[in-house]
Amino acid sequence: MPAPAEAGRAPGPPDGGWGWVVVFGAFISIGFAYAFPKGLAIFFKEIQDFFGASYSEIAWVSSIVLATTYGAGPISSILVNRYGSRPVVMFGGLLCGVGMISAAFCTSILQLYICVGFITGFGLALNLQPSVIIIGKYFLKKRPIANGLAMAGSPVMLCTLAPLNQFLFDNFGWRGSFLILGAILLNCCVAGALFRPIGPGTALVKTQVTEEGKDALKGKITTDGPMENKTEEEGEKDCFEKVNQYLDFSLFRHRGFLIYLIGNVLMFLGFFAPIVFLAPYAKHTGIDDYSAASLLSILAIVDMVARPTTGIVANSRWVRPRIQYFFSFAIAFNGACHLLCPLASSYTGLIVYSSFFGLAFGMVCAMLFETLMDLVGAARFTSAIGLVTIAECCTILLGPPIGGIIVDTFGDYKYMFIKCGAVMVLAGTFLFIMNYYNYRMLAKEEKERKAKEEDPNSLRTENEGKKNWNKDSTQDGPELEPLREKGEGLKKEMNGTNEV
Amino acid sequence: MPASFSGRCLVCLLLLLCTSFSGGNPADPAMTTQDANQTQVNSVTKMQPGHDSSGPDAATQELKPASKQNTNISEYEIVLPGVSEKNISLANPTKVELTCKLDENSNLKNPQVTWKKGSETISHTSKTQNSWTIELTISGSRELGSYTCILKAEKEVSATFHLHVPIIDGREKPIISYEGDIAVMVCTTVYNPKAWAWYMTNGTELVSIDKMLPVDKFQIKSPSVSINRLEVVKLTREDCGVYWCEAAFELGPSKSRFELRVLSIAAPLKPFVAVVAEVAILLTTIVLYEVYSKRKAKGDEKQFDQTEKL
Repeated sequence: MPAPAEAGRAPGPPDGGWGWVVVFGAFISIGFAYAFPKGLAIFFKEIQDFFGASYSEIAWVSSIVLATTYGAGPISSILVNRYGSRPVVMFGGLLCGVGMISAAFCTSILQLYICVGFITGFGLALNLQPSVIIIGKYFLKKRPIANGLAMAGSPVMLCTLAPLNQFLFDNFGWRGSFLILGAILLNCCVAGALFRPIGPGTALVKTQVTEEGKDALKGKITTDGPMENKTEEEGEKDCFEKVNQYLDFSLFRHRGFLIYLIGNVLMFLGFFAPIVFLAPYAKHTGIDDYSAASLLSILAIVDMVARPTTGIVANSRWVRPRIQYFFSFAIAFNGACHLLCPLASSYTGLIVYSSFFGLAFGMVCAMLFETLMDLVGAARFTSAIGLVTIAECCTILLGPPIGGIIVDTFGDYKYMFIKCGAVMVLAGTFLFIMNYYNYRMLAKEEKERKAKEEDPNSLRTENEGKKNWNKDSTQDGPELEPLREKGEGLKKEMNGTNEV
Repeated sequence: MPASFSGRCLVCLLLLLCTSFSGGNPADPAMTTQDANQTQVNSVTKMQPGHDSSGPDAATQELKPASKQNTNISEYEIVLPGVSEKNISLANPTKVELTCKLDENSNLKNPQVTWKKGSETISHTSKTQNSWTIELTISGSRELGSYTCILKAEKEVSATFHLHVPIIDGREKPIISYEGDIAVMVCTTVYNPKAWAWYMTNGTELVSIDKMLPVDKFQIKSPSVSINRLEVVKLTREDCGVYWCEAAFELGPSKSRFELRVLSIAAPLKPFVAVVAEVAILLTTIVLYEVYSKRKAKGDEKQFDQTEKL
């Protein structure tokens, strides 16, 4: 058998090479998706004056963007499942650009809702999900580092966009700024162009199916190749299965996925509110505007450094197999920071709080998608992320308003911090306990599966084996095996090639 | 995006929940400030939730009087040594009490105290052992100004109260608009002025705007007593300039400055085209590189197959 020349054709993700270019593209794409809605806040006062609107009417723009970016997750997943990451991101970038350019010519608030809110928000959603998905396709062994680096795009872009937006606004007013921002958002298309499709969709897939089928039995992860091939071969299916093919609802029976979903939905209730209220709280304790703003800058800078660092730490030999515990620890650490915040009333105390908050925030964000990939595997990650983001959408939107209601009711910010801290510590503990249970169940299932495999009578044909691998191993974390048994895995690979 | 009607309802409900609170946006803390005209604000040196402090100098604080009624007395105090200046905004005639208080830990003992406005000395009373107060009746703009208390002992310390009409919020940075578009200038204040007026700068003097511009060119709207909007429509290059908004309080007028710049549509188009060109160039480069590397890989493979056959 000729050894494959390109890394992309090797069994399993390349873990490097073009993958790092993809990480850079994802860095840009994710950065825009997260930082752009926050950067818009600079224009709101002017737009409010221009249209004679109230503050809450303008705040809807922000909310609509956020809601659409998270709510359109499943649509994004379906499109990626169908067309792959690259066309979706390029279309998303185009949509964002068109949305902002048309927003520059708006004559009413309602038109702004549509152009900035829905169109740009939808475009950003089409940017966010595929970028995260394609990292899972290009990386396995170095995936936490890749994730950490890509997620670092968010604070970097925010630090770049905030002064840029201010500069554009001072020189061109809000209309001109929206026009130019529309052009800048077209750079997401460039990022998308870097997302070269990997593995499936080429003619070589069919000839490699046999090889990959055997690899699947031996415990390697499944790329999209065998699954797509199977659907081509099997022809028509019933409606439910068709929907399932695009958006895998069977994930709701996946134990790991459910744990992640519940834990994260809980966590997001207290995740974003402290950032929203940090500056007002600082001003409330007597700090002036500039120092309060610099607290957020400290947070962003620490965040920027924390994300890739967390990626490197999570990739290490000691943490990677138990990455779910690290994630739960990060969430609980975040909660502990918030619980201690009311004790910090001086400016130095708030700086310390901001630094730790930036660190904790970066840790959680860097591992947000990595842990989901770890639980469900790269193949089903596409659907998983869509389902998770639409569930998170509700709590993300509810978090700051609930915090605001608490602040208004009690007239004091500390109860809001205590509430956020308590919610996150609870989420962290929940995830820790449930993942401990999950790891034990996975180990048990692994033992059972190995016992069956050893038995030569139960060695099935390739097709059957593939089917069972895809369906039965719903509870399996296919990632863990090749990593825990690196040495064994290499041996198996060699055995495989020898056999052929 | 949710397709069904119930889904849309849910999103609307969520958005409604989002916007039902008032203090969430860090960019607009003034929204949580209670309306100072309606509540009795104890105007001593204490920071209240959401209270705006004007400018980066925390030592001078913008304080608002307690009530609209003339019979109530507003009290203001400076503790020495420490904050040495206070800005007090007064919109309506009222009575004020200004107090200079000496901190117990200070080194000054039994100082000699004088209250002055400019060169004029004002008689004061001493309510407690370490505080000295003057009572003023502010009925017109003559009584506004700077009042200083001077404490002389081993060394001299002084504190100044600046009484003035309220500063109205305008815009320091220029307002940028485009030809054919509308420019909006909004003047706000938390007090209730008696009247609003708008002026334009003609050379060196201020001329009322209805004398400078035709009637269909501008519109003045007043959504509430404390907010006044000037809208200038069908902008042209000649509309560039300085505009003034004046609020007339009982104690005198207060002005705020706006600068309007009108740009042509071509102005933002240049950077726009530049960025679009950059995107196009990058896209072409990436596509070409990919085609090239695929061709190279195919060429390598063909070579490899050929060598294998051999």
